[in-house]
Amino acid sequence: MQVITFIIYSSIYIGLISITFFILTFIDDKKKPRIFFKDKELPNISVIIPAFNEEETIASTLDSILASDYPKKFEVIVIDDGSKDKTLSIANKYKKKGVRVFKQAKNQGKGAALNLGIKKAKYEIIFTMDADTEVPKSNLKKMAKYFKDPEVMSITPSIVTHPPKNLLERIQHIEYVTGIFLRKTFAALNAVHIAPGAFSGYRKSFFEKYGGYDEDNLTEDLEMALRIQYYNYKVENADDAPAYTRPPSKHSPLLKQRKRWYIGLMKNTWNYKKLFSREYGDLGIFILPIAWISILFAISVTTYFLYDISSSIYKEILFYKSINFDFGSFLDINFYFFERLFFKLASNNIIIFLLIFFIVTGIYLNYASKRIGKISNLLINFPLFFILFPILFGFWWIVSVFYVIFNKNVSWS
Amino acid sequence: MKKGNQNSRRPVQSKKRYVLAFIIGTLIFISAFALTTSISYLQFQRISNFQNEISYQIFNDKLDYSFFGEDICATGSLQKISEGLSYQGLIISDLEKKLGKKNKKVLFRKKFYTIIELEHLDFVNKLNEKCSLNISTILFFYSNNKNNLEKSEETGRLLDVIYRKNKNLVIYSFDINIESNIIEKLKDKYDIEKSPTIIINENKKIFNPKNIKDIEKYLNLKDESIIWL
Repeated sequence: MQVITFIIYSSIYIGLISITFFILTFIDDKKKPRIFFKDKELPNISVIIPAFNEEETIASTLDSILASDYPKKFEVIVIDDGSKDKTLSIANKYKKKGVRVFKQAKNQGKGAALNLGIKKAKYEIIFTMDADTEVPKSNLKKMAKYFKDPEVMSITPSIVTHPPKNLLERIQHIEYVTGIFLRKTFAALNAVHIAPGAFSGYRKSFFEKYGGYDEDNLTEDLEMALRIQYYNYKVENADDAPAYTRPPSKHSPLLKQRKRWYIGLMKNTWNYKKLFSREYGDLGIFILPIAWISILFAISVTTYFLYDISSSIYKEILFYKSINFDFGSFLDINFYFFERLFFKLASNNIIIFLLIFFIVTGIYLNYASKRIGKISNLLINFPLFFILFPILFGFWWIVSVFYVIFNKNVSWS
Repeated sequence: MKKGNQNSRRPVQSKKRYVLAFIIGTLIFISAFALTTSISYLQFQRISNFQNEISYQIFNDKLDYSFFGEDICATGSLQKISEGLSYQGLIISDLEKKLGKKNKKVLFRKKFYTIIELEHLDFVNKLNEKCSLNISTILFFYSNNKNNLEKSEETGRLLDVIYRKNKNLVIYSFDINIESNIIEKLKDKYDIEKSPTIIINENKKIFNPKNIKDIEKYLNLKDESIIWL
């Protein structure tokens, strides 16, 4: 058996076991009781919005959070991180609606802006929100109720993109929506290891005790979630609370974003390598190892795929040259062609496994649609995602690993 | 706030769940292999029945003129049989890849296929002779061995294009590596030492043709009937 065949079948086998495990966890979790604040018990909240050159989106972000139907007090704090555009003046207009605005003289990064916001926050429960995120009015209520459990240090929403317009946005849209089921399952295992920077809630006392955001970290939100896990607290998930973010619409900024995420993931999981142990339960023995195994498989399979496809293209060109680029003969298709095609597909193991994964992803999406509402253009976007995302995912990882190996710099912005 | 529990152990939620996930995951994994193998055997069954039908038709046609003295030129089943045989060749090749070269059932079908092909070649030669037809033939000797597989597949694709483009042509393929007396005799008859080799109209031998023109210039194509076996 070729090495690549072994890798492909191993990844499929581990993938099937993982999927089964996630589904079983999800079913078991439904039976578990949870404690929530009732409306009148809800705590007061501070929402911190760090902003750097966000003049196009900050108004809609502020409008959306100010429209919250939260039954207790909540303050909104904007930290302008040295913007050179109109972000500050737009934010200042919201002062009359009670928004508190602070300015950092020069751009110091998101982590520093958040730390300033934490210092200024009046209340124990803090939500951090990106200046291009929008939330429905019920989100604060749906998320803050999880803090009744004193072990919960962070609450995450369902991160979703706005309705997509181009191919890359469509792929990212389904990627985010698929993540809703997985994040809920991870929460059931107390294994959420990423708290989205776009919108997440924390206890201020955790920051006071264990320090604020790591200002030099590429993925300060990821580091914070790992830190919470490291100190054995819980990161919960309110999957019925969607937070809408704006994904990069072109490949260059998207690649830049993914490099930052993936390099941040590599560095942070290395820093928190102690989490890979039995002491951290399901997170340590299954979720983190399986995440890394999947990444290694994705890198290997994509590398092989890219090599194979480029060599196939070369061979195809040579073949078409040998038939003098005469394509007319390929139109001669009969019944036998279709019968053979059917048998070839139906008797191919990889096709059957892809079909299984397609169905499972469909189940994830169905669950997500029940939690956050209708998913945009699913019939078009889902197949596009299913075909293209694995290639992009592997490619982004290959580039990120390359950057780490050759010690190339990646900046937040 | 509760103190961090960095010194305490966080238990695994349910060991039973891991065991169950392992069992179910393994069962799905094995079931997929079982399903595709079953489909391949269904395909094998389908092709076996089809092969029987075609061989019956060929023998029937042959008996009509050789035993009962009917007019060979009146036969109308040549095109249909040829297309059926072509399909068989492709499916047997697919089954060989799926079930393995040493699968006895597939190997038998392959040998039987070789015999049917030669019966058909004999029939076509008689048609050419007795009905003044000008059907060209190509004997394609290929190998599925690692070293020659790629070259053989490339030649196969070239011939496939010629088959689709040109009418009045029959192509017969023979795996030179199967253990069969008939194949050995064929190799001796046409002096085949390596693959891929093609024999055009039983007289022009070409090893590893690279371009469609290398083959077409030796073909004597006239009308619009095409056969690829």
